[in-house]
Amino acid sequence: MVERETTVGPEAGIHGRPAARFLKAAKGFSSDIVIVKGDREVNAKSILKITGLAKKGEKITIRAEGEDAEQAVETLADLISADEH
Amino acid sequence: MKLTGVGASEGLAVGPAFVPQTGRPEPERNHITEDEVEPGLQKFRNAVEAVVGGLSETIDGLRQSGNEDEAGIFEFHAEMAEDPELASAVEERVKNLESPEAAVLAAGEEYAAGFAAMDDEYLAARADDVRDVTGQIAAELMGRAASGFEALQEPSVVLAKSLAPSDTARIEKGLALAFVTAEGSRTSHVSIMARSMGIPAVVGVGSALEGALNADTVAVDGTEGLAITDPDRETVAEFEKMSEALAKERAALDEYRHVEARTSDGRRIEVAANLGSASEAEDALGWGAEGVGLFRTEFLFMERDDLPSEDEQYDAYSAVARAFGEKPVIVRTLDVGGDKDLPGVDQVHEDNPFLGWRGIRMSLDTPDLFEPQLRAILRATSHGNLKVMFPMVADVEELKAAKKMLEKARAGLEEGGVELGEVQTGVMIETPAAAICATELAKESAFFSIGTNDLVQYTLAADRGNERLRRLQSADHPAVLALIRQACEAAKKANIPVGVCGEAAGEPEMIPKLISLGVTELSMGAPSIPRAKKVVSEL
Repeated sequence: MVERETTVGPEAGIHGRPAARFLKAAKGFSSDIVIVKGDREVNAKSILKITGLAKKGEKITIRAEGEDAEQAVETLADLISADEH
Repeated sequence: MKLTGVGASEGLAVGPAFVPQTGRPEPERNHITEDEVEPGLQKFRNAVEAVVGGLSETIDGLRQSGNEDEAGIFEFHAEMAEDPELASAVEERVKNLESPEAAVLAAGEEYAAGFAAMDDEYLAARADDVRDVTGQIAAELMGRAASGFEALQEPSVVLAKSLAPSDTARIEKGLALAFVTAEGSRTSHVSIMARSMGIPAVVGVGSALEGALNADTVAVDGTEGLAITDPDRETVAEFEKMSEALAKERAALDEYRHVEARTSDGRRIEVAANLGSASEAEDALGWGAEGVGLFRTEFLFMERDDLPSEDEQYDAYSAVARAFGEKPVIVRTLDVGGDKDLPGVDQVHEDNPFLGWRGIRMSLDTPDLFEPQLRAILRATSHGNLKVMFPMVADVEELKAAKKMLEKARAGLEEGGVELGEVQTGVMIETPAAAICATELAKESAFFSIGTNDLVQYTLAADRGNERLRRLQSADHPAVLALIRQACEAAKKANIPVGVCGEAAGEPEMIPKLISLGVTELSMGAPSIPRAKKVVSEL
């Protein structure tokens, strides 16, 4: 299991375009991936779960388990902490 | 009863009223037996696949017609339909002997309630998206269409509070005679669709629509923005007469398609087309375009993960140049801002993309983007009569810098042995600053083209998309006219021509004003060309 804590970057938080980008990236990995925020833990490949999960500046943890877990965590944590994109 | 709203798409229609039933579908049955569980789960998976398939078709259609934002909405819907968490919630319910349709509706409702409770307006509104998608899956499971339009069997006037892209996309061709909606403006999706379908639409009639929902027949005048419910015989006769007259007018306009537009005192006014992509060139020529007053190059850069190569751009510019031959084609260099993604360009979120890093500002800061475009345009000049125009110019420094880059590109190509023709460079007058500095800009320009849409928005500080600001969205405002006059006077002194390439160029009531101010070229959506030529000929 690999995990990394990061801070949400996009102005809009996790929804709209940033959420779509994140989801697309997450689905590209075979690992099981979750986003942990406080005591909530949600499937990172679910648009219904990740939309609205966190706002800009809030801390979340990306956790993955599987063959490409390391790469998944790096990619997704970088993606979600970037200001936009 | 008379309903008044915005005439969003012109034309007349009289027909039976149709009100789509857009409520959530009710499950046919709530419970299943133990041996129906496995087949039920399979049915659910098939239904999801069918819904996603339908959405993909809609997305492709919207992409092809350049409606990127709307395509994004449906992509979101498709993601939701395929959501693994939704699937497992449904699976669990079905294993507890709920019918698949009841399960998907209930699971959808749970997510919808979660969104609705969020304290962010945007997120709360996503509740409707979840209901829409899960409703579609449920309807598919029950073998029904979910659009609310399944009862639309004969050509009718469609009355609705609003019409979503998924609604209009599902209406069979020929079955909608006209649209009347409570909400919306000229730029709403329904208005754009109506214009492209060539059917009349009256939008934004407000709460009066509720009183009209029980009507049997509706007469719609999309030109005046008027709908009459259950019209009497005289009104119907009047509409039929007007309808005939309109058909005649359209036929009469056909005569003007291929005339050279000239005022009665002999002034030549060039009537040209605005193009959004190279594929529109033939169509525009058919409408009688005498050139291209605005060739937007954004289409080359959208909906892709990489930047278009110089050669790819060269091909597109050459195609339009060849199609128009001797006729002038004004190519506008890339005009995108922070609200659009560009691969390889370091964009940051902007609170006001329309006041942000866009147009020539971005191009000058991004040589990797700008130089290939300039080279491609220069190379394509050999195929026709291309001119270059820079967007969003605010002062002469920007223009000089852009021209310098163009010269550099030319020098580079000539060193490589490429022979190039002359190419005129002009400025788009769309910031108030450009109009005010027109004298300086004219000294460095071969032509001006007034982009009235942005000039109106920036001069009147009125967002183009804001429905409440309708009064402030017309070029027919003293402040805007004063700036146009200023630009025209500066151009006259410098002896360069002025064109207009915004909405105003095609509006019959604006054309005389623009010409009296000194405009000699009008560029517009191609279907407006015959009428504009007629208006000019009658001046």
